Amino acid sequence: MATSLNADEIAGALATLDIHDYGDVLQCMRCGSCLPHCPTYRTDGIETQSPRGRVAMIKAVIDRRLQASEEFVEHMYHCLDCRNCQTVCPAGVKVGELVLEARHRIEEHTPQPLLKRFMLGSAIRDQKRLSRYLTPLRAYQLTGLQKVVRRSHILKWISSDLEFMEALLPTLPSRPLAETIPDVIPAVGKEKGRIGFFLGCAMNLVFAEVSRDTIAVLTRSGYTVVVPKGQQCCGTPNIAEGERKVYREMAEHNVALFEDRDVDAIVCDCAACGMELKAYRETLAPVHRVAHRAEAFSAKIRDVSEFLVAALGPEITFGTIAEKVCFHDPCHLRHGQKLVTPQRELLRRIPGVVFSDIPDEGQCCGSAGIYNITHRGRAMRILEAKVEAIDKTAADRVVTSNPGCFLQLDYARKHWNREWSLSHISQLLRSSLERGETMQ
Amino acid sequence: MTSSLARKLEELVGRGKVFSSDSELLCYSYDATPLVSHRPEAVVRVTSEQDIAAVLELAAQEGLPVTPRGSGTGLSGGSVPVKGGIVLLTTAMNRIIEIDADDLSVTVEPGVITADLHAAVEELGLFYPPDPGSMKISTIGGNVAENAGGLRGLKYGITGDYLLSLDLFLIDGSKVHYGTKCVKDVAGYNLTKFLAGSEGTIGFFSKIVLKLIPKPRTKKTFLALYDDILDAARTVSALIARRIIPSTLELMDSVTINCVEDHVHIGLPRDVAALLLIETDGHPEVVKEEAAGIEAACTASRVRTLRIAKDAKESEELFTARRNALTSLARVKPTTILEDVTVPRPRIPEMMETIREAAAKFSLRIGTFGHAGDGNLHPTCLTDERDRDEIHRVEQAYDMIFQRAISLGGTISGEHGTGITKSKYLPQLVGPKAIEVMKRIKAAFDPEGRLNPGKIFPEPME
Ligand SMILES: Cc1cc2nc3c(=O)[nH]c(=O)nc-3n(C[C@H](O)[C@H](O)[C@H](O)COP(=O)(O)OP(=O)(O)OC[C@H]3O[C@@H](n4cnc5c(N)ncnc54)[C@H](O)[C@@H]3O)c2cc1C
Ligand code: SF4
Ligand code: SF4
Repeated sequence: MATSLNADEIAGALATLDIHDYGDVLQCMRCGSCLPHCPTYRTDGIETQSPRGRVAMIKAVIDRRLQASEEFVEHMYHCLDCRNCQTVCPAGVKVGELVLEARHRIEEHTPQPLLKRFMLGSAIRDQKRLSRYLTPLRAYQLTGLQKVVRRSHILKWISSDLEFMEALLPTLPSRPLAETIPDVIPAVGKEKGRIGFFLGCAMNLVFAEVSRDTIAVLTRSGYTVVVPKGQQCCGTPNIAEGERKVYREMAEHNVALFEDRDVDAIVCDCAACGMELKAYRETLAPVHRVAHRAEAFSAKIRDVSEFLVAALGPEITFGTIAEKVCFHDPCHLRHGQKLVTPQRELLRRIPGVVFSDIPDEGQCCGSAGIYNITHRGRAMRILEAKVEAIDKTAADRVVTSNPGCFLQLDYARKHWNREWSLSHISQLLRSSLERGETMQ
Repeated sequence: MTSSLARKLEELVGRGKVFSSDSELLCYSYDATPLVSHRPEAVVRVTSEQDIAAVLELAAQEGLPVTPRGSGTGLSGGSVPVKGGIVLLTTAMNRIIEIDADDLSVTVEPGVITADLHAAVEELGLFYPPDPGSMKISTIGGNVAENAGGLRGLKYGITGDYLLSLDLFLIDGSKVHYGTKCVKDVAGYNLTKFLAGSEGTIGFFSKIVLKLIPKPRTKKTFLALYDDILDAARTVSALIARRIIPSTLELMDSVTINCVEDHVHIGLPRDVAALLLIETDGHPEVVKEEAAGIEAACTASRVRTLRIAKDAKESEELFTARRNALTSLARVKPTTILEDVTVPRPRIPEMMETIREAAAKFSLRIGTFGHAGDGNLHPTCLTDERDRDEIHRVEQAYDMIFQRAISLGGTISGEHGTGITKSKYLPQLVGPKAIEVMKRIKAAFDPEGRLNPGKIFPEPME
């Protein structure tokens, strides 16, 4: 976050938002329809924690009726960018995106702390390098020290936040997925087409096995999967923190990387990456030399469920999984990409699955990138509400399709001792398809 | 930065309930009313009756104005603290205290969200009919204070019709209780009913008892499209003549229909002049009989197309157009100004005509939709607050519309209240004597004029 503020410059920088696409601030008619859907309003119950309040604050800064103070900046970082408000707003105001735009203009006019510049500018750019930073962590898990620490509650002693981080972390794979797979994986059986696979950082470094499942399902559905080497981060963390320069460089790199590979679609099994990649057409629009290429790139992006619902044709046999299942919609899938039915339709195709919706299904789980670390108290209250809602379904298994949500729900499961198990949708689909094959 | 007022309030009610930073005050300076705002000096989110009494007593000592506020969805500026002072926020007092299924009543705190109340009582097979468009976020306290109506108003009445009793704090911090759970209660003046629609200017409700009814067993929905808006109006008269009171009878004009089609693409023909959404509910036998009557009334009034829902899902589909009316209008231009003039049902065509004339005369885009069944219309002006000239023309157009409503024997507000925005029309509607009586009543409850000042009564000219 910002170190010292130049309120006047920030107000000036925000002033041009009026003519920007991110939902004209004036378009908000203050009707309040967004309030009951905003996770932070639901937990805090006050207007400053609501979409309507956030727009009002931005507008007041533009009109110079409110100082762009530290308090204002904090308010801009309280938003989860879950975009639930955007789904419901009658006037079409994109509050989540507007807040990101405000962050960007604040950051542009504020000197940034070194560590943040390093993280967003260099660390995440190269997944190989990022993987090396994770090595000490991996060693720590391998040596068994993790178990000792977890049991002794030593971390509680040092700092509760550290303990939380520690509890949140899964066991890391020994090598990132990108290093263990070839860059072209042929279709199983007759080839229907060639598709690209975008391997997000979290999937590559933390959930390697899940993406391996995704690729397995994709090839079984008849597609040859191309995973170009040297993919860079999609840029979500940069956008969330208001950084745009490195973001654009990485985005351009990714567009170019897939361009030469002649693929019909580019599939992604991380909802946050999927949303961002689909947004390249807007975020890169001002960069002349890539604008139309970004348009073509974004048009090819498909979330894994979005792609599979059409690709898994009648020739595929699903094996039985007799369980009560619910789906936790990642915000960046449901509100960010407006995808609600494909994931449900896929789950319903699995024989034996009894599907039920989670009450208040569009609600965020509180993960929201690094929100659960930066705003832990609030994130925990949001998570608690989510767990209560899940309980009402009496599901045996919760399915989702975003690494952040996965970590957050996995933490909840352990923390509140829940009986349900947790899967990425690709994991469940793979088991079903494998069972289907043995049946034949 | 904590002001001395905020510090004193914190001492009384505890920290965490008092808000006074710049951004917090900004965020309580508005409600859903376009073009009005004013910052309070402090906001208190009370959680108990003790809190309410303590804040009111401090305000009395300091001579400060107090403005009650629910969710801030009001459309007449009711919860905007135009004279500063303290905003008293009810949203944390949101318990449903008791649902009395034997005696058909429900007791709630004022901050309960309307839709939450619906869900809770419907689970028990009971029904609380008032359903304002804002019900997913409006509070019961706000509904009572504005005497809110909704789509079901024609058949089932409005909030005030369900109000049985109230606990009320007066501005000096004392508490009074009005009414009983009895549907019949004629002891003394009926102050309970008087408080419905008091717009937060008489007292602060801390507990509300509402009447419930059994949930209707079934319903049938119709969507009727017309080539001439007069045919739609004729249908309304034809229904009444057949002694049919539908539970919903909603009208949309061609401007609104086209905006809806632009926004949600539901396949409404672009060239229709008006549509009616009609629903009847109740006992299956009655619904069947009324449905036949509705069909006949529509046909007799030269309906172009009549769609009849076969099941609940189709019924939802037919509601889509009406549910998206305001939504679709709001997307067209940055500023949306919506009013709620109401006229006797037979005068609807004349009122619609005047609205069209006003739009033409002042070169404005006005879409009209509303509750045809009770004559309550929402002429909605699509404009831009930055365009001073146009805003001025909007005011002139509404002047013309309000005058006409009054001369047709109607009223300036059917459900949103007088508040700030319509106070200048009130004297014309009710006359000077009635204003004087209302002022005397107000003074009896609030002699210093500190409770929600600046509302209902026009400000004396400087
Ligand atoms: C999209 C939209 C649709 C709408 N549709 C309808 C509709 O169909 N029908 C309709 O009637 N209205 C409608 N409204 C207007 C509005 O929602 C209602 O007036 C509603 O009752 C306001 O409730 P609130 O909780 O938001 O109250 P607020 O706006 O916060 O306050 C309204 C008034 O109530 C007073 N008040 C609040 N709580 C108390 C209390 N505990 N004690 C005393 N006074 C109190 C306030 O001082 C203020 O004067 C709509 C508004 C919007 C934005
Ligand atoms: S952001 Fe949209 S939903 Fe929220 S108050 Fe503004 S117009 Fe209404
Ligand atoms: S994006 Fe989510 S957290 Fe942010 S204002 Fe909208 S609903 Fe609230």
